[in-house]
Amino acid sequence: MEIEIQLTDRAIAETILPPGQPGAVGAWLEFRGVVRSEENGRTIRALEYEAYPEMAGREIRRLLQKISARHPCRAAKVIHRVGVIPAGETAIYVGVASPHRGEAIALLAEFMDRLKQDVPIWKRRAIADGARLCAEHQPQRPSNVQAAAAGSATTAALRSLDEARAEIRSRSRPLPAVRASLAEALGRVLRETICAPEDLPPVDRSTRDGYAIHADDASKTFSVVDTIHAADWKPRQLKTGEAVRVATGAALPCGALRVVMQEHIERDGDKLRVVRRENSTNVRLRGEEVRQGQPLVPAGTKLNAGALAILATVGNVNPLVSPRLRILHFTTGNEIVTPDQTPKPGQIRDSNSILIRGLLQNFPCDVEQGHLPENFEAAMLEIAARKPGIENADVLLVSGGASVGEKDFTRALLEQLGFEIVFSQINLRPGRPLIFGVNGPRVAFGLPGNPLSHFVCFHFAVAAALACLTGGEPPEFLRGQLGKKLDDKPCPRETLWPARWEWNAATPRLRPLAWASSGDITCLTAANALVRVPANCASLDDGAKVDFLPVAAMIGGG
Amino acid sequence: MRVLFFAQLKDATGCNAVDLAAASPLNTPQLWTELLQRFPALAAHRPNVRLARNWEYAAPDAIFADNDEVALLPPVSGG
Repeated sequence: MEIEIQLTDRAIAETILPPGQPGAVGAWLEFRGVVRSEENGRTIRALEYEAYPEMAGREIRRLLQKISARHPCRAAKVIHRVGVIPAGETAIYVGVASPHRGEAIALLAEFMDRLKQDVPIWKRRAIADGARLCAEHQPQRPSNVQAAAAGSATTAALRSLDEARAEIRSRSRPLPAVRASLAEALGRVLRETICAPEDLPPVDRSTRDGYAIHADDASKTFSVVDTIHAADWKPRQLKTGEAVRVATGAALPCGALRVVMQEHIERDGDKLRVVRRENSTNVRLRGEEVRQGQPLVPAGTKLNAGALAILATVGNVNPLVSPRLRILHFTTGNEIVTPDQTPKPGQIRDSNSILIRGLLQNFPCDVEQGHLPENFEAAMLEIAARKPGIENADVLLVSGGASVGEKDFTRALLEQLGFEIVFSQINLRPGRPLIFGVNGPRVAFGLPGNPLSHFVCFHFAVAAALACLTGGEPPEFLRGQLGKKLDDKPCPRETLWPARWEWNAATPRLRPLAWASSGDITCLTAANALVRVPANCASLDDGAKVDFLPVAAMIGGG
Repeated sequence: MRVLFFAQLKDATGCNAVDLAAASPLNTPQLWTELLQRFPALAAHRPNVRLARNWEYAAPDAIFADNDEVALLPPVSGG
C-alpha cells in the first residue's frame, strides 16, 4: 500500500486529491477530525496539540500496514496538524483509496480507533473562549493603547500616526504558536517562559586543576585516592587525609569540598603535601548560577543566539515559538519593469520588490512576490491562480502603482478579497495613502508606491504588525537629540524624516538626511532612523530633543 | 541515554528531556528507579505511562542502553 504521512503546524488544505491517475481506484474515502468548540462542557476557541513526531510517523505507518493486511487498500494519506488549532478547523485528515468501498471503510474505522490508542499525539490544552488565542503566552500590552484603539472612527477619517499604530497593534493578533527546533527558532518570539529544569551547575564543580579535599580537613599530608577528569562522574565520600585529583570543570565526588590548586602542593607518588591554602574554595557550587524552577528566558523574548544557547543548555530543544510568517507581496502598475530591463520613456524599474524583501530579512518569514496587471479582473485572476494561495498568507502587501490610481485599485482589491479596511489615509508625510485591512487573523497593507513611502510605512506600520503577529512587541520611538539643524517648510502633516543616528556619549544623536520628495531614495543607504517632526513645525534646531524610530538593521539586532 | 517527556509529563518534570548517565544498561524497573529519584513527581503518572525505546513502544522486558532515545508517553489523545 502506498502511504503518505504528514505532521504539520499549518492549516490542512480544503481539497486533497487521491494519489495516482484519476479513475485508478473505485473508492476514495476521506475523513476529517475537526476541533469542536466545546471541551468538557465549556466553550473553547482552540486546542493545542503536541506530537512526538519521530515516533508518531512510524506508528501511523505501522498501524496502516498492519490493518491493510486484513483490509487491502491501494493508498492511504494521513495528515495530522499540531500546534494551536482553532475550533472548526481540521486536526486530522485521512484519505484511503481502494478498488471497492468496503475495504476502505473498514481500514479507516479501525485505523482511527488505533490512532487514538497508540499514536503519540496529545491534546495539550484547551484555550477558552473569551481568552485571546494563546493569551497565556502573550506579553502585556499597555492599556492606553487598547483604549486608544477601542474608539473606532469611520474608515474615511484621516488617522494620526499614533492612532494608526494603536489600531495596527490592536487588530494584529498573535498567530498560534508552534514548536520549532532550536536551529529554526532564531529570530522567533518565545511564547512560553522557559524555567531551569534543574540546578545549574547540577553538581559542585572545580574551578581549578588541583586536589579536592574536605573543606575542613586540616591534615598536612594527603593520599591521592582517585582522579576525576572533566567528563567523569565518580561520587564517593572522602575520608580525612584523602584527596582526589580533579581537572578544571570536573564534577566533585561529594559536597563540602575545597580544591587546592596544583601550584600549592608538593606531590610525591600517591602522597601530597599542601604548601599553601587560599581563602577561596575554588568550587562552583551546585545551583550557584541558577536554581531549579527559576525563569531563564521569559515569554515574549525575541530569540537571539544567546537565548538559544540557554535553551540548549537546559535541553529545551523544541520551544513554543511564533510561526514563520507567510508573506505575499504584489507590485502593481504598468509602468514597472524588472530591474534588469532598460525602462522606456514613462517606465521605471521596480525597486520596491527588493526593498520589501530586504526589509523582511529581519523577520523569520517566507516571502512570495509577484506582479499584478492593472486590470482589476485580471489582477483577481492572477491572485486566485497563486500557489500557495492567498488563504495561506498571514500578511498581504500590495505596492501601489501610479498608473492604476493606486489607492482605489488596492482598496477595491483588498475589499474583494474579504479584508475589512481599518484605515486608508494617514496624516503623515511621506506615506499618506497607506491602507490597512484585516480579514480574520490575516492583515493587509496597501503601500503607497514611492520607495521612500515604502521605507517609512514599512517601519512604522508593517513592522509593528509583524511584531504583533509573532506575539512580540513592536519597535517603539526613542528619545534623541538632533546633531544638525533640520531645515523644513511648515507642513500641515506630521513627518517621519530619514536620519542617521549614532551614540554621542549616552544620547542618540541624529543627523537629518536630505530628501527632495517621496520618490527620493538617495538617502536610504545612510538612513537608520526616522525622526518625528510635528505638524506645522518649520524647522528644528541643532540640539533639539526629538522622538525617533530606529530602523533597518537595528530591528533584527534584538 | 536521552529521556524525553511529553504532554503533562513536561509539567511534572519541568523539562522536555534529560540525559541519564547510566553505568550499564537498565531494565524497566531500574530505569524507573533512576527517573523517580530525579523527578519524584513522576510517581503519580507511572501507572499510566508507556515507555518507548528508539521510536517504538518498549516491551516490558526491554533493556535501555546508553545510546537509546527513551520517551515517557502519557495516554495519547490525538485525532
